[in-house]
Amino acid sequence: MSHEAVRVEGLSKIFDPDVRALTDVDLTVEEGEFLVVIGLSGSGKSTLLRCINRLIDPTEGRIWLFGEEMTGAEGARLRRLRTQIGMIFQQFNLVKRHTVQTNVLSGSLGRSSLLGTLLLRYSEEEQAQARAALERVGLGGRGRSRADRLSGGQQQRVAVARALMQEPRLILADEPVASLDPALRHSVMRHIEALNREEGMTVVCTLHDVDLIQRYATRLVALRDGRLVYEGRPDEFDADTFRDIYGTDAEPATSQLFGTDGEEATA
Amino acid sequence: MNGGLGRLKALVVDWTLTALFLLMIEFLVISFSGRRGPTGLLVTPEETLDLLHYGWIALGALVLTLGWQLVKSPVGMSTGWAAVYGDDSEESMPWTHTVRGWFAALLIELTFLTGWLITEVQLVTFLTQFNKATDIVRGLVNPSADVLHQGLVLLVQTVFLAFMATAFAIPIAFALSFFAARNLTRGTWLSRLMYTIVRAAMNITRSVEPLVWALIFISWVGIGPFAGVLALWVHSVAALVKLYSEQIESIDHGPVEAITATGASTLQVLRYGVVPQVIPPFLSFTIYRWDINVRMSTIIGFVGGGGIGYILKPRVDLGQWGEVGTLVILIAITVWAMDIISAKIRERIV
Ligand SMILES: Nc1ncnc2c1ncn2[C@@H]1O[C@H](COP(=O)(O)OP(=O)(O)OP(=O)(O)O)[C@@H](O)[C@H]1O
Ligand SMILES: [Mg+2]
Repeated sequence: MSHEAVRVEGLSKIFDPDVRALTDVDLTVEEGEFLVVIGLSGSGKSTLLRCINRLIDPTEGRIWLFGEEMTGAEGARLRRLRTQIGMIFQQFNLVKRHTVQTNVLSGSLGRSSLLGTLLLRYSEEEQAQARAALERVGLGGRGRSRADRLSGGQQQRVAVARALMQEPRLILADEPVASLDPALRHSVMRHIEALNREEGMTVVCTLHDVDLIQRYATRLVALRDGRLVYEGRPDEFDADTFRDIYGTDAEPATSQLFGTDGEEATA
Repeated sequence: MNGGLGRLKALVVDWTLTALFLLMIEFLVISFSGRRGPTGLLVTPEETLDLLHYGWIALGALVLTLGWQLVKSPVGMSTGWAAVYGDDSEESMPWTHTVRGWFAALLIELTFLTGWLITEVQLVTFLTQFNKATDIVRGLVNPSADVLHQGLVLLVQTVFLAFMATAFAIPIAFALSFFAARNLTRGTWLSRLMYTIVRAAMNITRSVEPLVWALIFISWVGIGPFAGVLALWVHSVAALVKLYSEQIESIDHGPVEAITATGASTLQVLRYGVVPQVIPPFLSFTIYRWDINVRMSTIIGFVGGGGIGYILKPRVDLGQWGEVGTLVILIAITVWAMDIISAKIRERIV
């Protein structure tokens, strides 16, 4: 059990009035994995990720984080557990009017003094750590810019730096590159990969592009209509499995995804 | 079709319709007749009722309807007639062909007419007796310099009165607005209760006019500008809470999620996820509120709440139109200047 980052048992989520987003999901994520979650739009990927850090409360089921139970945790205990989970969003979700540096610093909110953070005051060590994090994602020197002055790719790298600042043991990344120019996707994915490889953070990431899946995932699971329907290694993942997971409705998309792009990545 | 009964029903409907028409016409005649009741005003509603000749109108309507039907067949294409002709298509008829349509039209007409009577509208007087007001207008265009100095001093007081009311309102409205925002108060039953209480209290406060608040605070702290400050303050808090909380409700929830996910506490989530998004619109609303408060503070003195209205009221009562003219011009310039300044600043912020 000590090597499990996340364990999910019998997880179900029903949104009001009765949208079944997840049905009886069992999932174990080993420490150090780069787990990619795939599935059609609406299959429940975001809901699964948000249940893990309790941005959404599950309807049924239990979740453990590094052996400690996440479900049922409230108040200070829930916040402490959350500090161990960094999250990266499709829409970056930076505080647009704050500087890049303050955005990175906000990763440390869970451990910094309340009064200081309310006044946007941070210690010199924290400032230095934030600058180093920005340096890591190639944005050293941009700390004083307002966050919304940066391009999409840069903003997502700031979000990665914020996660780095948080020093979590697990990263949840919900379609981290879906709203970026395809040419920029690797630049962001490589930084997330660095969190995994160099910082030893476990990563659970939802992705849509086959080439990215095959390039970054160490393991793959798929959701369909809120159920876990597939589990495998990325090198076993081909057009046939894709069709199995997505159903024959996704046929045109299959040929598109496994076009020239996909082959280059596998080669 | 049960012809006999249907025809009778149709006749009654048409007849009622015609009677209502005639009644309306008589209303019109009375209201435009310029007749005056015992109070010296235009006829009161009761007197109007006395003047109406129901019996004659009913008889007239009957004769009219029968005559019309002899010459030109059905009057109103009423429900009755539709029944007689076995025609169910009344739903799709234009309103002029249905009884309900005519009633709706009549109701609107009658509401307007009743309003005309109750508010004693006097078109003729309005159009012909302008000369009686020339004194005032002459005063207004020939302002007297006597009151200029005092007016300027009180004008400064007026602007500051509005400013202080706004300044005092900001922190309280700011704090309350978080409790009055639906999206932040879904969590616990306690927060939902706070939402309901704050919303209700603010709605009640806002529905009481500043002049009434001024009367309350004058008995509390005495006549003078401070009573005016308090009156505008209370009203501003309520107004700002509404504007602020609506702004909070329309924020982007992404940053809130991101900050929550770092393990931040509620206050930190508000400080990082909500506040930065709402500060510019809050500033804009606040300046707009100051602008409104300047307008209000010019008249809050009418009841003793300080500001320029305090010396304006007695001069109006005494008919010192030259001095009134000076004060009105001062007010107009101030309000106009505030309007421009506040618009300019708000443009910059958003
Ligand atoms: N807050 C909510 N309230 C109600 N229904 C929701 C809510 N969030 C998600 N759902 C529903 O739950 C289902 C799963 O949504 P989810 O966002 O998890 O899908 P997804 O796999 O992330 O899709 P996408 O690829 O489009 O992001 C969908 O049917 C969605 O409409
Ligand atoms: Mg999603």
